[in-house]
Amino acid sequence: MNIFKRKKKIIKVPIVTEEERAKPVRCKSCGRLISYAELKKNLKVCPYCGYHFRMTAGERINLIADEDTFSEIDTEVKAVDMLNFKDVVTYKNRIKQAKERTGLDSAAVTGKAKIGGFDAAIGTFAFEFIGGSLGSATGEKITRLIEYAKKRELPLVIVFSSGGERIQEGIYSLMQVAKIIYAIDSFKESGGLFISILTNPTYCGTATIAMAGNVVIAEKGASISISGPRLAKQVAKKNILPKLEQAESLIENGLLDIVVDRHLLKSTIVRLLKYYNRRRI
Amino acid sequence: MVKLLSFEKSLKPLYEELKEKRKNAQSTDYIEEKIAETLKKIYSNLTPYDIVQIARHPDRPHTTDYINALFTDFLELHGDRKFGDDPAIIAGIGYFNGKVTGVIGHRKGRNLKENLRYNFGMAEPEGYRKALRVAHLISERFKAPIITLLDTPGASPTIGAEERGQAEAIAYNLQELFNIPTPIVAIVIGEGGSGGALGIGIADKLLMLKYSIYSVISPEGCASILWRDASKAKEAANALKLTANDLYKLHIVDKIIEEPAGGAHRHREEVIQAVGKEAQKALNTLSRLSKKKLLEKRKEKFINIGVYNE
Repeated sequence: MNIFKRKKKIIKVPIVTEEERAKPVRCKSCGRLISYAELKKNLKVCPYCGYHFRMTAGERINLIADEDTFSEIDTEVKAVDMLNFKDVVTYKNRIKQAKERTGLDSAAVTGKAKIGGFDAAIGTFAFEFIGGSLGSATGEKITRLIEYAKKRELPLVIVFSSGGERIQEGIYSLMQVAKIIYAIDSFKESGGLFISILTNPTYCGTATIAMAGNVVIAEKGASISISGPRLAKQVAKKNILPKLEQAESLIENGLLDIVVDRHLLKSTIVRLLKYYNRRRI
Repeated sequence: MVKLLSFEKSLKPLYEELKEKRKNAQSTDYIEEKIAETLKKIYSNLTPYDIVQIARHPDRPHTTDYINALFTDFLELHGDRKFGDDPAIIAGIGYFNGKVTGVIGHRKGRNLKENLRYNFGMAEPEGYRKALRVAHLISERFKAPIITLLDTPGASPTIGAEERGQAEAIAYNLQELFNIPTPIVAIVIGEGGSGGALGIGIADKLLMLKYSIYSVISPEGCASILWRDASKAKEAANALKLTANDLYKLHIVDKIIEEPAGGAHRHREEVIQAVGKEAQKALNTLSRLSKKKLLEKRKEKFINIGVYNE
């Protein structure tokens, strides 16, 4: 199967340079200094206050997939600047910089892996690639992953970490939301299980997509919002209190299934996969 | 006198002269001709941001104007059966050219008082849930096609909207609208504001008035995020490719509905009738398709959108 698609192990990307690695990190929540090694060991969770730092796509895959089981698909899909968009820098430049900095070609890493021994299709948004924003290439990769999962009857796990649609692709980015939702719907219709995992941040269109999960899981303290704080501030002319869009308050409003600490994220997914796979035996 | 937009300032003396002449009961033919000529000149050379302003003009025909003019025996249906009734969305059923047809649209107000009541056309989750409930009702019980009219700055971004599941409401609408078994024609009549518009914008045919916009984000929002300066809205409007012409070239829009120079707010009746005519044409083509083919094509339309390298 799948012999025509290039298989590639996920690239380990030095988002943090060696220099930065030596320096201790200040926790954004409690302000304490933590050594990078200690933070890394604790899955990028502050050991003092439990603040969840952002993870890169590579770290995320390593967290969820069993060791050495992830094989990436659709690596040939790459972001392009179709509108000749320019803000303070050109979109072409943004893509180029993001590629150099992360080694990725779009804001999604997708593939197949074993999770707790169960086969699954897994995808993650890469926040380090232009804010994990949803452009055509990212949308296409996620759509193909969903179709891949449908065809092979695999459960689908998607980790969201995204600022929303890729503004630089204009209307195309908005339409990716519709496209992905449609793919998800036909996947769910076929009996598939879609576990959506919301991490900090999940905004705008990606929040919409994430809410289409059969099971919706959020990481502790994840900021989730359909408008995004900067836009909400600009439209509503006031700050939406950050506390109110956090996972902990959304679960009280009945919008999420589970809020988990990062240390328990994988085991929660594995439990769901176990219950799901049981029905076939 | 119509409210003049910033790029129409050269018309001010002409309109004043017209008013003066009318007061004195003099012939206005010449001056009216001159106004029309100037308008033609101005409107043949609009920037994207000018079009944004036309799309937001308070006198531009809104959803209710289209319903009043194009529908007979219109019956508005209220409420999402879950939480409340959102006045920012109007939904109902009536006769359109003698055939039972449903209509769903954003409701904008004419003045501040109305706008506060309708939240400037920014719908809450209840609004999207109402829209979907009515869409199901119209298509499944009444077997009637649906016209949706898009005119919103975006979905309501308040704390309350987030708490009641704005993201979930829109996600569910997108998902379910793909399965509505009767034809849907969406028409952007003013501002097509991102997810707020897309939430009732999944359709078999997407039509757009010439001076309306459809965008992933408002130019001001885009400017405040990418330029970190909301005053760069003009540049953002250029970059976003949000006009009907641009979107037609990008194959997002199926048809542009022409507006005369001066915009829909100066030619209300004419534009409303043009919209009615084009909507009927689109419904005619769609009604020939079988249900299976219709849904297949609707899905195809969206699944193929996107440009990337491979």
